[in-house]
Amino acid sequence: MSYVAIKGGIEAIKSSKELFRRLLQGTEPMAAKDVSRRFPFACDRIMAEGALYSEKLAARAMLRSGGDLLEAAFYLRAHRSTCRRLGEAEPVAGGELRLLRRISSAFKDIEGGQILGPSCDYVIRLFRSRLQQEKSSPVTGEADPIYSPSAVESLRQRDQVLVLGNREKSPFDVTRSFPLPPYPRSALMQVMARGESGSMLAFAYTSMRGYGDVHPTIGDLRIGMAEICFAHPFTGGKVKIGEIRATFCETVGSFQRDPRDGRLRLSTGFGFCLGHNETRAISMSILDLAMHHRGYSVGGMDIAANPEIVIHHIDGIESMGFTNHFKLPHYVTFQADLHVYENARKESDE
Amino acid sequence: MNESVFAFMDEDAKKEIRRTLLKAVAIPGYTVPFASREMPVARGWGTGGLQITLSLLLKRDCIKVIDQGCDGSVNAVNIRDFIASVSGVKQTFSTREATIIQTRHRIPEHKLAEGQILVFQVPYPEVLTTVEPDTEKQKQMHADSDYSKLWVLLYEDTSQFGDSRISNRYPVEVEDHYVMDPSPIPKYDIPRLNNSPALLLFGAGREKRIYAIPPYTKVEPLKFSDRPFKVETFAGKRCGRCGADNVFLDEVRQGTTSLYFCSDTEYCDSILTEQGDVTGNTESE
Repeated sequence: MSYVAIKGGIEAIKSSKELFRRLLQGTEPMAAKDVSRRFPFACDRIMAEGALYSEKLAARAMLRSGGDLLEAAFYLRAHRSTCRRLGEAEPVAGGELRLLRRISSAFKDIEGGQILGPSCDYVIRLFRSRLQQEKSSPVTGEADPIYSPSAVESLRQRDQVLVLGNREKSPFDVTRSFPLPPYPRSALMQVMARGESGSMLAFAYTSMRGYGDVHPTIGDLRIGMAEICFAHPFTGGKVKIGEIRATFCETVGSFQRDPRDGRLRLSTGFGFCLGHNETRAISMSILDLAMHHRGYSVGGMDIAANPEIVIHHIDGIESMGFTNHFKLPHYVTFQADLHVYENARKESDE
Repeated sequence: MNESVFAFMDEDAKKEIRRTLLKAVAIPGYTVPFASREMPVARGWGTGGLQITLSLLLKRDCIKVIDQGCDGSVNAVNIRDFIASVSGVKQTFSTREATIIQTRHRIPEHKLAEGQILVFQVPYPEVLTTVEPDTEKQKQMHADSDYSKLWVLLYEDTSQFGDSRISNRYPVEVEDHYVMDPSPIPKYDIPRLNNSPALLLFGAGREKRIYAIPPYTKVEPLKFSDRPFKVETFAGKRCGRCGADNVFLDEVRQGTTSLYFCSDTEYCDSILTEQGDVTGNTESE
């Protein structure tokens, strides 16, 4: 291959894009709305990792990328750069979620009840199974919206929970400036809320499996709808600007000595994400727990407890981009590599 | 899937697991690796226990499945339904009637008998993981009976908190040799592993290990000789349903007050039946 071929890139790129477009041609056009309905978990993951709550854009991104979820999230991230940051919405507490599902594995019976809601947890994963031929049973649910405090509240009421000190007046925003260590917890939270689901799962799994000492109990895991309120720019009053689907998870870890008064209290971790993604919210709460309660970690190889590892390595858009950049021409650097290698080999052979 | 296959897995897979079980029984407390098959339930939800149960099932067996002591818990119901649907064996809540009991996190309160098999679902089969995550080093430590790191952990906890911080999965020494992870049962259940007339089998699907405690085996918690092994006690508390006060209780919190109920719901039901309370509304259902 000669240099001419490399320089003739314009035509080649054009054809490549056309081939990609053709690759994704279906038999019938698919509406974005249909994508949202049929693939809610894909769309939720795109919104969470893309760090933008827009069901419409997530569905369009899904279609545009042919179901490559990272690529789709990338569309949302790119779109974000065209949007102005208007300010901070009012905080949403877990107890304010209008519940669709809520479970606690810490207590058998909890205030507000265990609400299984929609879940595939107990589906037998077989294409054909007698178990799946169950007749659809009518779902009798309460028509009234359900709200309930986190099941971890009962521990807090008894002063059994270690509350981390907070010196941050307002949450950090990593999209405006990136922090230096020691990383504020809110910055870590934000990076995790946007992090790639698989990366977070893998790091959290190292901690729970052997390289760390987090063996958490899920205090409260809930999916539901959260109202987002914003201070009106003129009146200053709270205005509801919309509603988002969200997942919330509080896990309880081992007990620690509370630096405030030396008493023993239970450590907790928190996970939250846009849309419904329980694996992701649990992973995040485990990473939060591992990073902020390091006291008893053993082995010294607890990578999940290292904020330096977590903050720089879980962003899917960044790691995917960099991994794929290796497809770019590296003729010059590789030529230089070869020179160094050949000289070294000559030296070593002599 | 071929629906006519008895107990879901192909016969070769079941045979392989039974051979692994034989080795495990022959070396009490030693974790034997096996090629864990994918089950149609997720890893970490009891696939190790499930594979043992399925490989042992005979048509005449009677199966009981509990989760946290309860037959009616969602995961227990799901697994029991699955086992019954692929094998057609009889299901029961009764600890005494069951020939095979698959459990997560508890040993039934009713004393088990000879001939019964208790299958534990195990998340962490390797007792040394807490102190040494590297598999090769763990293997060497077991070979050398080198449990010094566990003893150091026990010492550090005792010196700081007066006792071990391990609340469940308390390490046990089996027949004066291997130290093993008894699965996440509470400390209350640890002494009940000792000298058990029933065969105790442990299956870790995700970590691909099987181990066993044969009947009438000596099982002792790892502890310093001058420190008593303290199990959970519920002094002054009794079950709000059947009144039992000598069992493991679940706490149900309502605001700042607490209620207590038997963790073993079948035991609770059987006490009520003995007391003549035949309301029919059993907790297990």
